[in-house]
Amino acid sequence: MTFAEITQRIGAAFPDGVEVVEDTLLDPAVRVRADSAHAVCRFLRDDPDLYMDSLRVITAVDRPPDAIDVVWHLLSMRHRHTLVLKARVPRDAADIATVSDIWASANWFEREQYDLMGVNFTGHPNLRRLMMPVDWVGHPLRKDYERPASYHGIPTSRSDVTPVTHAEIPQHLPKAETTDGLMRLNMGPHHPATHGVLNFLLETDGEIVRHAEPDVGYLHRGIEKIAEMNTYAGTMPYTDRVDYLGGMFTNQGWAIACERLLGIEVPRRAEFCRIIACELNRIASHLVGTGSMAMDLGAYTPFIHWLRERESINDLMERICGARLTYTYMRIGGVARDIDAATLEQTLKWLDHFEPICAEFDRLITGNEIFVHRLANVAVLTKEDAMSFSIVGPNLRASGVKWDLRRDEPYSIYPELDFEVPVGLGWRGTVGDSYDRLIVRLFEIRECIKILRQAIAMIPDGEIRAKVPRILKPAANEAYGRVEAPRGEAGFYVTSDGTDKPWRVRIRTGCFTAMPVIEHLSPGLMIADIVALIGSLDVIAPEVDR
Amino acid sequence: MTDSNDNPGTEAPVPACTPGSMPGEIVTTTVDNFINWFREGSIWYLLFATACCGIELMQTGGPRTDLDRFGAVPRTSPRQSDLMIVAGTITYKMADRVRLLYAQMAEPRYVIAMGSCANCGGLFQRGYSVVPGVDSIIPVDIYLPGCPPRPEALNEAILRLQDLMHGERWMKKIKGNA
Repeated sequence: MTFAEITQRIGAAFPDGVEVVEDTLLDPAVRVRADSAHAVCRFLRDDPDLYMDSLRVITAVDRPPDAIDVVWHLLSMRHRHTLVLKARVPRDAADIATVSDIWASANWFEREQYDLMGVNFTGHPNLRRLMMPVDWVGHPLRKDYERPASYHGIPTSRSDVTPVTHAEIPQHLPKAETTDGLMRLNMGPHHPATHGVLNFLLETDGEIVRHAEPDVGYLHRGIEKIAEMNTYAGTMPYTDRVDYLGGMFTNQGWAIACERLLGIEVPRRAEFCRIIACELNRIASHLVGTGSMAMDLGAYTPFIHWLRERESINDLMERICGARLTYTYMRIGGVARDIDAATLEQTLKWLDHFEPICAEFDRLITGNEIFVHRLANVAVLTKEDAMSFSIVGPNLRASGVKWDLRRDEPYSIYPELDFEVPVGLGWRGTVGDSYDRLIVRLFEIRECIKILRQAIAMIPDGEIRAKVPRILKPAANEAYGRVEAPRGEAGFYVTSDGTDKPWRVRIRTGCFTAMPVIEHLSPGLMIADIVALIGSLDVIAPEVDR
Repeated sequence: MTDSNDNPGTEAPVPACTPGSMPGEIVTTTVDNFINWFREGSIWYLLFATACCGIELMQTGGPRTDLDRFGAVPRTSPRQSDLMIVAGTITYKMADRVRLLYAQMAEPRYVIAMGSCANCGGLFQRGYSVVPGVDSIIPVDIYLPGCPPRPEALNEAILRLQDLMHGERWMKKIKGNA
């Protein structure tokens, strides 16, 4: 359904609900009255012709002096159409009804926007700070926010820091608490099996988990705010750090969003360079994902094997872009440098070497009976739950939904390439269990090899960067750029205001929506299964916290 | 390493080994050197990866760079560790946890601030949530620049730490405390 038809449907159902239709935007938006937003959302989700079954992201955009826009990016996977829905609330009394009863993923999106922007979602079941410490003052993403001089005695500016030499550190070691016969345990933020600084507050009855509440924000670096202080090109290095295992993808997501704003066409060779770099990166990311999952479950050897292979990818990456981890390879309008023939040759050689090693990994761990028993039928995520929680990427596909942005909302040169989208089929248990999530990733590695071989064979000669002005000043507009990253959709919602700096940047990552699922699936699992669940979802802290 | 080893390789073939028969069997050294020799060869570091640098820390422990050959092996509990490698950004929410982890380590303890974020806040200094350098919370022995530092650089930092340990005088410290 086109945007005009959708708007018409909303207008017919809510005659006085629609305020403004912003159809001049790159992603046309419809603004509804704040008090009818909840009803409109329910209508959009339930109407069989609209059927917006997936909520991509909720954003609050500050519009001083007196308004805040709340923006919902909606997607219908069934009908393959999207919609940007907006509502305007006053800045000093920013109240709007929650939609967490319609889409489960809204729960955390709204908590984040409450924390950072100060939008009060009425009727929300658990409206507390998500990213910042509980005693933090103010809402950092508001335009008039000023950071305090110090927090808990730590100065906020480097020039005020006197290095601690002989610290008086209090010995404060809280013990596990007991409440109502249950034991409360802190799992994290420093824990070897939580993939970075993630914290889980567990309530356990012996070995059985009754409730696991994820506590995030330990790596919240405020990249969205820093992007507002930087130029469009200057934000590129920060996007690497949003997802340190898949920096190429966040690079590309940002580049696509900015290119849409500026109306830049990327040369064909640059697109090929991007895809080759990205797919290599996807292999590297899945190597860490599956390897560390095996390590968390006690199998150390496969992880070391994968690390060895990852070093080879790092060498290739170094030849391509000069860095091992934080690539900053993409530029707005192309890539930083060309991939020479020798590197392509070396990549092909490495692929020939790597393919048999995949089979070795399978012999070592994938078919291992102990490993299978630890994962099969554990933490089954059903298709319905996966959709409601806006799960994306391999985790969604493991639940049996064949949705891959490379195939379903194609970008770059993917339509020309031939590849499969592996889905979970309940390989050793139920569809959507932890084992399926592992298998989907392993299959994806093989698809990456296929894509790389094709892309290297097809790469044309030509320019690697479009003609781009030195100072980028897009006109006031909005664009959403997204790519299929190793952990699902990496989306950048950029609002420009005609200056050389973005007005608001919102980053949507796959891990953020995967975290609340752990809380949902945890009751009844063993503590060791929680580790398997976290490992199989492949969540990493910076993607959750940004 | 030891005092009797000043000109190795110039001696005649090693004599038959009967206990107490040859003066060459006895190796003399100072207590400090003796203690430091052991400590240098078994720096157990705390697996404390907070951000991007953690991936390079992982690769450093991996097969190519192989930190194990210097006796540095990862431990997951601070109570078993001598060294804390702060690999990544520290936020205000994390700051108290870092203090707590440091407090749980047994003395003598060392800290390497790995990467720009741990050194000074790095790229994120202008943000509102990042501690501008981990040295505002805990004492730092070695600052390792880079974003992220390469495994070779981390290797170098471990070697520098060994040098630092080698220079420590324990007898003096004990006498000073007594």
